[in-house]
Amino acid sequence: MNKRATIKISNIIKEAKDIKTFVFKHNLGAKPGQFIMLTDFEGGEKPFSLADCDTNTFTVTVKRIGEFTSRLFQKEIGDFLSVRGPFGSSFFISKGSVLLVGGGYGTPPLYFLAKELLKNGASVTVVNGAKSKDDLVFCDRFRELGVHYSNITQLGCLGREGTSVDLAQSALAKTKFDYVYAAGPEMMLKALQPILKEHEYEFLFERYMKCAIGICGNCTIDPLGIRLCVEGPVLPKKLVEQLTEFGKYHRDATGKRIEY
Amino acid sequence: MHNRLKTKFLGVEVKSPLVLPAGVMGMSFSGMHISKINGAGIVTSKSLTLQPRKGHKGPVVAEFEGGILNCMGLCNPGISDGLVEVDQFKERSRTPVIVSVFATNTADFLKLTTEVNKSKGDFLELNLSCPNVFDEFGIPLAASKEEVFKIVKAVKDISKLPVIAKLSPNVYNIVEIALAAQKAGADALCLINTVGPGMAIDAKIVKPVLFNKFGGLSGPCIKPIALKLIYQTYSAVEIPILGMGGVTCGIDAVEMLMAGATIIGVGTAVYYRGIEVFDKINHEIIQFMDENGYESIDNIPRLEKSDV
Ligand SMILES: Cc1cc2nc3c(=O)[nH]c(=O)nc-3n(C[C@H](O)[C@H](O)[C@H](O)COP(=O)(O)OP(=O)(O)OC[C@H]3O[C@@H](n4cnc5c(N)ncnc54)[C@H](O)[C@@H]3O)c2cc1C
Ligand SMILES: Cc1cc2nc3c(=O)[nH]c(=O)nc-3n(C[C@H](O)[C@H](O)[C@H](O)COP(=O)(O)O)c2cc1C
Ligand code: FES
Repeated sequence: MNKRATIKISNIIKEAKDIKTFVFKHNLGAKPGQFIMLTDFEGGEKPFSLADCDTNTFTVTVKRIGEFTSRLFQKEIGDFLSVRGPFGSSFFISKGSVLLVGGGYGTPPLYFLAKELLKNGASVTVVNGAKSKDDLVFCDRFRELGVHYSNITQLGCLGREGTSVDLAQSALAKTKFDYVYAAGPEMMLKALQPILKEHEYEFLFERYMKCAIGICGNCTIDPLGIRLCVEGPVLPKKLVEQLTEFGKYHRDATGKRIEY
Repeated sequence: MHNRLKTKFLGVEVKSPLVLPAGVMGMSFSGMHISKINGAGIVTSKSLTLQPRKGHKGPVVAEFEGGILNCMGLCNPGISDGLVEVDQFKERSRTPVIVSVFATNTADFLKLTTEVNKSKGDFLELNLSCPNVFDEFGIPLAASKEEVFKIVKAVKDISKLPVIAKLSPNVYNIVEIALAAQKAGADALCLINTVGPGMAIDAKIVKPVLFNKFGGLSGPCIKPIALKLIYQTYSAVEIPILGMGGVTCGIDAVEMLMAGATIIGVGTAVYYRGIEVFDKINHEIIQFMDENGYESIDNIPRLEKSDV
């Protein structure tokens, strides 16, 4: 049985204009790539990736985009939120030389991953991209970890204009990586796929989730019928290559297909 | 080995008596596909309505020791998109599909039937019961034998597919309702839908866990109720029964057969035992047959019919 824990927010960190990190003191026992379902019991229970997790703390980093996340942004330290999880698959913790490619609010779960990879003795390179400076998060955290780190924005706020896919391309040209991990908007993952023909990789996917326990079927991905809340959200290359809906469509709350 | 699980439902041969029931994994063709390749003999679509429905806001599921509560709220992409999924499934597979539909009145059930007639579905299931949409739709249709008779009769008049009436366990006299469906021409019955509804409370924050407050119960805790209602119904009707409610292992499935079911739904157990649950239960049924000397699934005896 997946236990529900209703716990107080122990800290809130403002990361960027519309991005905040929520910290909870709780032993969740999650692995990098896994997610939780979060609710305030006011209408809506939504999936968020773990940005960090150890034996007494876990954090999620949230971008404000709609009704639920806007309500989250009004919460204060000490307010109760309720958590189910952790759910889903996790990243393979490899050794050797690895490249992590993050976009927007997809980057935080890669922080948790980077920490575990470092513990495992991997040599970690992180490239982080976002639309503008307002969406670029975790730069300092990555630098403090001591990984090879670079970032870029589409609007060129930091000098160069481009995406994390551009940064990945130049990193791949310079270094031989044993494993690549990516999390971010689906079109970013789609753009990344063709330049990873020679590499083993794992992508973190997002689909509309309701039950998170693998029965409602809302988060299945065609044509395999894999449930992103159980077999995902992290999928390895050999599965990604078989997905016909990847970069084409996803399903909304009714189950209707929505094209990208 | 699997040949020993072959049986027939309404004249259609199925390779396993296990059915993916409505609302579980049936949202997309691929959800039905993965259930089939993991051993389901028949798959059912999500209950489809004329218009798309988002369903209730979350939390939509709450777990407890004996099972789960759900208030999905009949979310579905609507009949036309839903049937695209059914047809795409059928393009890839010969496994029979039950198309489940839901409406609140006869006219809408007829519109849905007209659409299903044009699809590649094999059976039409009328969801006459959905305890978690009480607020919007009043008491379930399945609580009234007159309503059940009226709807089933009207649908039978135009349906090209055999019609299964799915009944609610939350009624005073299920036999009366089952007989009304049979008299109206239903080809088979499906029971049971979720029980209750029930409720869960978060003690820390003093609020109902489900945003909809109430949700239907499924899983192991409802099996005794399902067995009783299936047995009572089986004792009174002539038409076959798709039995479900809490089936989690092979013995549970065998008990459903003994109570009078012809085929057996496995829903919530997908959560407890993974999507592989169908093959696991298939194997457990065969093991039971080996241990007890039954050559085929059709040799498993039924209880003697009862007059209570
Ligand atoms: C595995 C996974 C991990 C995620 N991790 C993060 C994270 O770390 N940080 C973060 O900010 N966001 C994350 N998201 C997205 C987050 O769940 C949505 O931003 C949030 O649900 C939006 O809710 P809303 O009410 O504010 O917006 P709405 O106005 O309801 O929706 C805006 C958009 O958010 C998405 N969305 C809404 N509800 C859901 C749902 N139940 N499941 C999936 N997507 C939904 C849809 O694309 C929708 O179009 C993740 C999603 C998934 C599936
Ligand atoms: C998440 C969920 C969604 C369901 N949705 C539907 C539905 O749309 N239509 C329907 O007739 N029954 C629906 N049901 C009921 C199941 O089909 C089944 O009758 C019930 O869950 C009992 O079987 P089980 O204990 O094996 O799950 C749903 C059940 C669950 C758990
Ligand atoms: S969210 Fe229900 S199956 Fe994944």
